Amino acid sequence: MELFDNLLMGLSTALQLNNLLFCLIGVVIGTAIGVLPGIGPIPTVALLLPFTFGLSPDSAMIMLAGIFYGAQYGGSTTAILVNVPGETSSVVTCIDGHEMAKQGRAGTALAIAAIASFFAGTMATIVIAVLSVPLSVLALKFTAVEYFSLLVLGLIAAVVLAHGSVAKSLAMVLLGLLLGLVGIDVSSGVARMTFGIAALSDGLDFVPIAMGLFGLGEIIANLERPAERRVVSQSIRSLIPSREDLRAAFPAMVRGTALGSVLGVLPGGGAALPPFSSYALEKKLARDPSRFGKGAIEGVAGPEAANNAGAQTSFIPLLTLGIPANALMALMIGALMMQGIQPGPQIMTEQPKLVWGVIASMWVGNLMLLVINLPLVGLWVSMLKIPYRLLFPAIVLFCCIGTYGIANSLFNVWLMMGCAMIGYFFIEIGVEPAPLLLGLVLGPQLEENFRRTMLIADGDFTVFLSRPISAVILGIVAILLLAMLSPEILKTRKEALAE
Amino acid sequence: MTRSRIDLQDLLFGLFLVAVATGTLVATRNLVIGHAADMGPGYMPRVVALALMAFGLFFSGRGLWRAGRGIAPVQLRPLLAILASVGVFALTAERLGLAIASVAAVILASFATREGRLVETVAFAVVLSGAAVLLFVKLLGLPIPIWPR
Repeated sequence: MELFDNLLMGLSTALQLNNLLFCLIGVVIGTAIGVLPGIGPIPTVALLLPFTFGLSPDSAMIMLAGIFYGAQYGGSTTAILVNVPGETSSVVTCIDGHEMAKQGRAGTALAIAAIASFFAGTMATIVIAVLSVPLSVLALKFTAVEYFSLLVLGLIAAVVLAHGSVAKSLAMVLLGLLLGLVGIDVSSGVARMTFGIAALSDGLDFVPIAMGLFGLGEIIANLERPAERRVVSQSIRSLIPSREDLRAAFPAMVRGTALGSVLGVLPGGGAALPPFSSYALEKKLARDPSRFGKGAIEGVAGPEAANNAGAQTSFIPLLTLGIPANALMALMIGALMMQGIQPGPQIMTEQPKLVWGVIASMWVGNLMLLVINLPLVGLWVSMLKIPYRLLFPAIVLFCCIGTYGIANSLFNVWLMMGCAMIGYFFIEIGVEPAPLLLGLVLGPQLEENFRRTMLIADGDFTVFLSRPISAVILGIVAILLLAMLSPEILKTRKEALAE
Repeated sequence: MTRSRIDLQDLLFGLFLVAVATGTLVATRNLVIGHAADMGPGYMPRVVALALMAFGLFFSGRGLWRAGRGIAPVQLRPLLAILASVGVFALTAERLGLAIASVAAVILASFATREGRLVETVAFAVVLSGAAVLLFVKLLGLPIPIWPR
């Protein structure tokens, strides 16, 4: 069986001693930033990117992936014990998880969250492995025409399915595309929008932009709000859930995993949408919905499973087609490009060791997370006692050093400073910066494929519609955009995302 | 969030986009446009800039037209402290070395909040600077001077 061969190959990559080590580093860092509110996985991954240069591509990707799904585990610990979501994806876990903690069942809630996450992680790994093969076969039929259409679909779908105003997000994608155009034009060798600055001729690095917009902008906005951090020092009595707890939680876990796996693949879904949907579903299915909000174990198990499954399956578009589903995956694409690997539909056939190694490492990483999170939960809770007034200067410093480290250039530090200001401006006017990052990372590929297509087709725009695969993809784009114009769908979308 | 007669969020975003689009059009005015079959370097920037311009005008217009949310008052303290911290790092890192630049950056960043206590901040800055030198220069081999040259 091809699938087993692939998984075995992946496991043999993931189980190499150095890859195990990097996986462990990734999930430990991920858990740490997950536990700490105010630092998300995006700035962390951006921060660590410069230091993955020296690693082999598989070690680098395994570590960065570990940070992402590790953060989903860590986020729930804070949600349950302190009632503050460590990550946006664990907002829902606060509701019933913290209620359980108040009733003295913190240990059970933590255990169920971890078990649900592990179960979902395992299932999602299998889903990725199964889906990857047919998708990569399809991907082989792709030429510049289809790839351009696919990139358009990726960008549009990410905008439509993510939260925030669709029109504003589209404008942000364009802004990102524009930033991606800065630098020397590959086909003519002419400098574009470099304003005579030598450091700009290779184009804008996305790391300072990501760190400025997401890391520093966020810190400035956080500092404006009055600090409100109640550390509930709960004694965690028993971590082992009772048989009834498990029986109540298991169906929710399965449903959460299924829901999360589906929603995770969709661009823009990422980690935020699945837990909300799962919570709504559990509440609807429950015999006694009034228990929710008062410590219902299903309200922890379902969303936790959904959020982990979603976090992992959001790798599918990236690993098979080279299309990022959200801003974090855009950073991953950046990481690949820094390693000299051109992301795209050919990635699975050209880099099977890398792709399957990352897939297999997710399961290994989930196993590690179970161990790291349950017995060592006390350690993570004590991390919450670090006050924010000490935390944020450290983050600022590490952002400065990390940005400098990408190209040993001070220009990037200045660029990050500018982006911090713009990032703060975006927060102030209520615009999501994530689409900008997608546009920035995909921009150069979009232009290259567009120009190549136009060259082949002799400037005939109908080529996008006369090729069947491309026509279908663009058809989906059109439907998505038209659907956004219909007031009814707009209303449901608002409700679904606001819940 | 205050209510206001105009939608300030929309208006500001729209004006920002118009400014960016105008800047792009000016900066790329000398680039060859070419045509669809053989695009010059100026083709894509101009297409994107024009689209941004359209979005910008739309948001500006909508912002003026409908009532909406104002923006939260800007608090200068955190904004200036963080920007100054990054700026001072950029100015000093290569000339004075990582050790001194780190201490300066951390102390300046701490001014962003009123909670800080001076002694604690300075001590923390020194510790953090040591950790940064150990981690980034010694362990990860970042080519940056540690002390003034």
